[in-house]
Amino acid sequence: MKTRAPITILVAAVMFFAGYAALFIAPDERTMHEIQRIFYFHLGSWTAMFAALTVAFVANVAWLLTRQPRWDWLGVSAVEVGVVACTSGLITGVLWGKPAWGIWWTWDARLTTCFILWLLYVSYLILRGLIEEPQRRATLSAVFGIFAFLDAPLVYASNRLWRTQHPAPVIFGGPNSGLDPTMVKVLLFCMTATLALMLVILVDRYRLEQMRHELDELRVAAETRSASPGPALTAATRN
Amino acid sequence: MRNFHFLFAAWMAVWAVFFVYELSVASRVSQLRDEIERLKQQLREG
Amino acid sequence: MSTARAAAILLAKELRLEFRTRELLNATIVFALVVVVLFSFSFDPTSAESRRLGPGLLWIAFLFAGSLMLHPSFGREQANQTLDALRMAPISPFALLLGKMLANFLFLSAAELILVPVFAVLYNVSLSGVVGRLAIVLALGTAGLCITGTVFSAIAAHARMRELLLPLLLLPILAPLLIAAVEATASLFAERPALDRTWLAFLGGFDIVFLTASWLLSDFLLEE
Repeated sequence: MKTRAPITILVAAVMFFAGYAALFIAPDERTMHEIQRIFYFHLGSWTAMFAALTVAFVANVAWLLTRQPRWDWLGVSAVEVGVVACTSGLITGVLWGKPAWGIWWTWDARLTTCFILWLLYVSYLILRGLIEEPQRRATLSAVFGIFAFLDAPLVYASNRLWRTQHPAPVIFGGPNSGLDPTMVKVLLFCMTATLALMLVILVDRYRLEQMRHELDELRVAAETRSASPGPALTAATRN
Repeated sequence: MRNFHFLFAAWMAVWAVFFVYELSVASRVSQLRDEIERLKQQLREG
Repeated sequence: MSTARAAAILLAKELRLEFRTRELLNATIVFALVVVVLFSFSFDPTSAESRRLGPGLLWIAFLFAGSLMLHPSFGREQANQTLDALRMAPISPFALLLGKMLANFLFLSAAELILVPVFAVLYNVSLSGVVGRLAIVLALGTAGLCITGTVFSAIAAHARMRELLLPLLLLPILAPLLIAAVEATASLFAERPALDRTWLAFLGGFDIVFLTASWLLSDFLLEE
């Protein structure tokens, strides 16, 4: 694809600039100072994850309704990318937690939710690995994917209801309560950047699935060709 | 700058996670591309 | 044949099958008891701690026992290849699912009926005055567990490593249910027992959402 290289470079540049913005343009935060800047990457990861998992949900439904292979390809690709984004969210969360709260992990609503979502979608990937027949694998993982997506808001709501009743480290009064306008701009920029990065990776991963399918078809064609006697066989023996 | 190490680690972690994944996908894509070309060639000759 | 009638007939079949040997029920109860006892070894709770940790322990025991018990739901069909026969019958796939959900619900409830008093005795938790309300919480929680569990049993039946896969799929999905059930139970075991309406509504909502999803997706679950 000829437009591929320029797009990659553009996205890389955007990400680079987003990093710069997060580190140097965004104003210093009152209580946590520079460690708070992880917030920009952290929310960016979550945005990417949320987008990826929504795409996966749509793909799952589309597969069940249309049975076109490309929806299955999109489904697995989106889930994998979503898991990667979630991993990034978890790591940034941990690396923020240690300096900000003094502890590596805490069972606050957001971290717990993210962890459970990670487990959920990793289970999806494991499930896929354990079903061999392609049609059935696509259908059953699509059903599971839909259940997982329905569960996600419930996980978030239950954790919110639960954890906020316990004393928990406060994250500077919530990200949307009176954020400095520059911070908002940087945040939106970082979220867009991570989203763009996620899309690029998603397209690549989709292409991988597509090519796997193509390879399988070619292999079948090659085997049927070599199975039937005729010019193919004589040509081979001649060589 | 307090806690700069964590901030840097976080930035690197985000990059590493996405980058390593993208690399693995890209390398598998190019492997498959070669394999597909090879098979197509084989079918053309056969 | 209407869905309800078909489900009822299938439920009767499942019950008959199970009561012939009662192996599933026995194993489930014993396993849950083992979890409860092991907990006391690992944590050695005092009476006050029991009140605090008890609800969590109870529901974890149910969850583990439940996810082991749910596996044979479709595993048995798979092994005996009776699923094809059921599929060919003139019943909706949802009726098949519903029959199994109800059967699992009854089995697990039967196990809970034995486990809860035992638990109360072992951990000195007073059940007086809360039995009715506790029954509601148990019913809603167990329903959620059985609804999702039966669906995932159908999914796992076609995969390798299904004994391990079912808990792996089920437990993350049930996290919100676990939270809600434990909190609702805890508020009943507290100094002044009260039925927490928020968590109860949450449990009900969970059940409805996943039952509806099961209904919508039942065709795909049981296809060839």
